[in-house]
Amino acid sequence: MSNSHLFLPSGFLRTPLQNGLGRYIPQLQRITLKFCKNHGGSRGVRDFIESDLMEFAKTNHGTVVYLKPRRHRSPCMVAEYLNGEREYLSCHEFSRDEVHKWLSYMCTRSGIPVMRFRKYQHTDYPTVQGVWNPFTHQAPEINVAEFPHGVLSKPIDHGQTATEQLIEIFKKTQIEDPVNKPSN
Amino acid sequence: MAALWKTCHQCLRYGFSNASIYTSITAVNVISKRNFKAHWVAPTLRELQRRKVIEEDRNGGPKIFHRSTFLEWNYDAEIFAFSNRLGEKFNDSSLRAALTHKSYIERETARLSDIGVESNLQFHDNEALAKKGGEIMSKFINGYLRAVFTQVPEELIRAMHDFLTSNATLETVAKHIGLGDLMLCADFPCKTETYVKSFKAVVAALAESSGEERARIFVQDLVVTQLYGQDVNELWNPVDPVGNLTAILKREGKAEPEFRLIRQAGSNSILAVYYVGVYSDKNFISEGAGESLEVAKEMAAREALKKLFHTEDSMRALPFGRQLKNIQSRIAQLENQPNVPLSEWISQKVMSAVH
Repeated sequence: MSNSHLFLPSGFLRTPLQNGLGRYIPQLQRITLKFCKNHGGSRGVRDFIESDLMEFAKTNHGTVVYLKPRRHRSPCMVAEYLNGEREYLSCHEFSRDEVHKWLSYMCTRSGIPVMRFRKYQHTDYPTVQGVWNPFTHQAPEINVAEFPHGVLSKPIDHGQTATEQLIEIFKKTQIEDPVNKPSN
Repeated sequence: MAALWKTCHQCLRYGFSNASIYTSITAVNVISKRNFKAHWVAPTLRELQRRKVIEEDRNGGPKIFHRSTFLEWNYDAEIFAFSNRLGEKFNDSSLRAALTHKSYIERETARLSDIGVESNLQFHDNEALAKKGGEIMSKFINGYLRAVFTQVPEELIRAMHDFLTSNATLETVAKHIGLGDLMLCADFPCKTETYVKSFKAVVAALAESSGEERARIFVQDLVVTQLYGQDVNELWNPVDPVGNLTAILKREGKAEPEFRLIRQAGSNSILAVYYVGVYSDKNFISEGAGESLEVAKEMAAREALKKLFHTEDSMRALPFGRQLKNIQSRIAQLENQPNVPLSEWISQKVMSAVH
């Protein structure tokens, strides 16, 4: 199956600022929860704020949490990341657990947009022994050889042909016989 | 016919609210949901977008606002989160001073005096901190480079240090730890120098608050890791590799380097390739390839130097983070001891690898 029908951009695995190489820096800079204090669609968000928000803020103390009550508007959360990207999610009629789930999802993202990974690994050092070129593993004798050459013109691991194997087997049988049978 | 029209109409009504397919998004990523919009919503939004694009083109770009102009902004909380994000403890006064620029103080005092208020501001600016931070950052970087690249001449150490402390690198680091919103400065969008100054000041503030050890680890984790993925041989190359190789071998008491053609192909064509090998007293040192004999000879000499300095493409991976635990004392020791310069370099003078 091809991926050309997807509108999703594709790319290679990357992380901002070599995150994790030295130390891990949580990439979520701040999260804003906007909700209505009255409307039913914000009930889940309100329940989350009353019960689970403090614990969330304590565990993610590198992230600033803003609460913005807005009348007559459906709830949403906006996450801002250290590389400047923002992520918007409508939380209309979410349950308390759903809000918690999506909030922890936002925490685990870096700001790099969602994309299809072309490869699940990346390296800046693709070769250690050096890229193959036609001169790799070539005998130095080719420099001064006259072609066609008795050894260098032939395939490297030639092996015995079927005819040669049969001749060898015949020769072996020849040696075993002279005691038993008279040779012609 | 009527049924077809009705279906089309319903499709327009039950449209997706994911705007990211149709409009150009630079900042906002939307997780899409189905939505019911009236028939006039789409054309109105389209017209507004058209007018916005015209305005932006006339003004030379979209309007940008500093994050502190938003209603949801709490500077104290942002500073608290900043230090927690990095996993470091800062003195509040040091950190605030590190993030305050002279231009901001001048602007604020001018503004207050215009109003007529007696300005009793107790702002400290980050000039002194930035200078100190720059010095200790250079010291830490040099210590790391000399401890990891033990066989390398001082000129290459200096080139790597200059790359790591360049404005471009430090600006990237500063932006990605969130300094852009925290800095108090008069210019917006902030200039490169402002970012770099803030970052250096933050390093100095950290050294003041948590000690030099933590500041060293901080610089190693954030600045030195920018060396990852960089080919160090692109940062510096000796000007005359053949001459340098000859001098080094002479100083070591070995025979003069002998350059021999070992492979060639397509010598009459544009895509000619020559492989030249360097031998000293009939011992193979290295080989290099090039499109002409002179280029191949220079490349072979470069490869030989790379082998001597242990900076070939297949060199050991650089240690970062926890892998530095055992050599921190060594790094601290080498901060003030420069490596051997190229003019005096011989293998016997440099120690074997530390890690």
